[in-house]
Amino acid sequence: MWTSDGLGSSVSRSLWLRYNSLGGNVADADTLNMLVTGAIWRAEQLQAQGIRANEAWAEVSSWEEQLACLFPQTDPEGRIARRGAVRAALKSGDPERAEALADRYLAEKGTSKEFKAGLREILDDATQALANHFPYAAKRYGVRAAQGFARQIKTSGAFGLAA
Amino acid sequence: METVSFYSYKGGVGRSLLVAHAARFLAMLGNRVVVADFDFEAPGLHYKFRVAAPFSGGVVSYLLATSDDASAPPALNAHVLDLDTARIAGEAEFETGPVWLMPAGPAPKPEYWADLQALGDRLPFGDPSGRGLLAVLDLHARLEQELEPDYLLIDARTGITELGSLAATVLSDTVVTMVTPTLESIEGTTVVIQALQSAKRLEGKGPIRVVPVLARVGKKFDPWVQTGLDGIREMCSTERLIRLPHDPKVLNSELMGWMGALPLAYTQLLQEIFPSRGTQMGQR
Repeated sequence: MWTSDGLGSSVSRSLWLRYNSLGGNVADADTLNMLVTGAIWRAEQLQAQGIRANEAWAEVSSWEEQLACLFPQTDPEGRIARRGAVRAALKSGDPERAEALADRYLAEKGTSKEFKAGLREILDDATQALANHFPYAAKRYGVRAAQGFARQIKTSGAFGLAA
Repeated sequence: METVSFYSYKGGVGRSLLVAHAARFLAMLGNRVVVADFDFEAPGLHYKFRVAAPFSGGVVSYLLATSDDASAPPALNAHVLDLDTARIAGEAEFETGPVWLMPAGPAPKPEYWADLQALGDRLPFGDPSGRGLLAVLDLHARLEQELEPDYLLIDARTGITELGSLAATVLSDTVVTMVTPTLESIEGTTVVIQALQSAKRLEGKGPIRVVPVLARVGKKFDPWVQTGLDGIREMCSTERLIRLPHDPKVLNSELMGWMGALPLAYTQLLQEIFPSRGTQMGQR
């Protein structure tokens, strides 16, 4: 999470200490909101400078997920946090986590149709963006299939020898 | 399009030269051939084709261009060289097929290494997001669609690497696996052949055909070498291993490059690797 160097470290250091003082457990909403804001700022700064920001977005997703635990999806803040967790997971290059979060949120009781459609749209938009970017591969294999295959490769290593 | 990767567990076995000769051989039979250099860390296939004029582009800069957020894929013709196949045919009275070369890049120029480093940062091939794999699959499918080759020949990275694995286990229909009569080569190659034969495949792709080629061959082997080679032969269900003899004429073929006559040893070997392609020049 927080590191002693890198962009934005001064922004979130005090917040990080506050979070840690709670034993790393779910903090209060104000603290989490500030952590999310700092993490988003850091991720955007990294991106603006052409630096890989996957870990920073993963941090955003993690804070958003914790915020989502504090608010039900019937609450506007809860919906924002849930969407944010899924979006940030996608930006971190982890579609598997994004889909898992979305599945969890879609399965919650009392979820509105609008909210469900919005979550699905986030996932579909990300898939479509990749399909537009890699049209030949998307047409031949499908983006989701290729992503699933990439995860298998990642797990089993080069030539499957690390499986 | 049949995709054929040429792989060796250890380097220095004459893999790139075999790729270049295979392209000539298949073109002389009238096939349309694309050759791609996926040996990013030690690229040299363009030397085998005697690419004289300075060039830019290649696989690395193409993939790098796909790593940004540009909506349109980069122009393919800026990264692929259309080789003058009339030079293959010489005075012969047969029609050769076209050969396109997609080098890794203009190595050893500094800009190539800068691109390679940027590619590693921006498009890791093992990225779980799938972007790295999608980029390689996209290039593969695009080469097939736009150039309509009969063959795509890939000079794959030596050793156990993500890129070598992608080329061999994901893209390829056939993997020509070069092995030398040394214990490290035999044991490493044995492991790789087992991996190729059990590799998970994308939907629509069948099992990989593995063709072992014994390179740098002397006349006799130690018994333990023979035992290892027999094991590879049995794994690949072949009666005998295709051999590339250690011959001065073979070495000279590198000096002759693209212009020289295809040495008999290569012709015989390539007829065994591509048995269904006939022997009449110009026949399609």
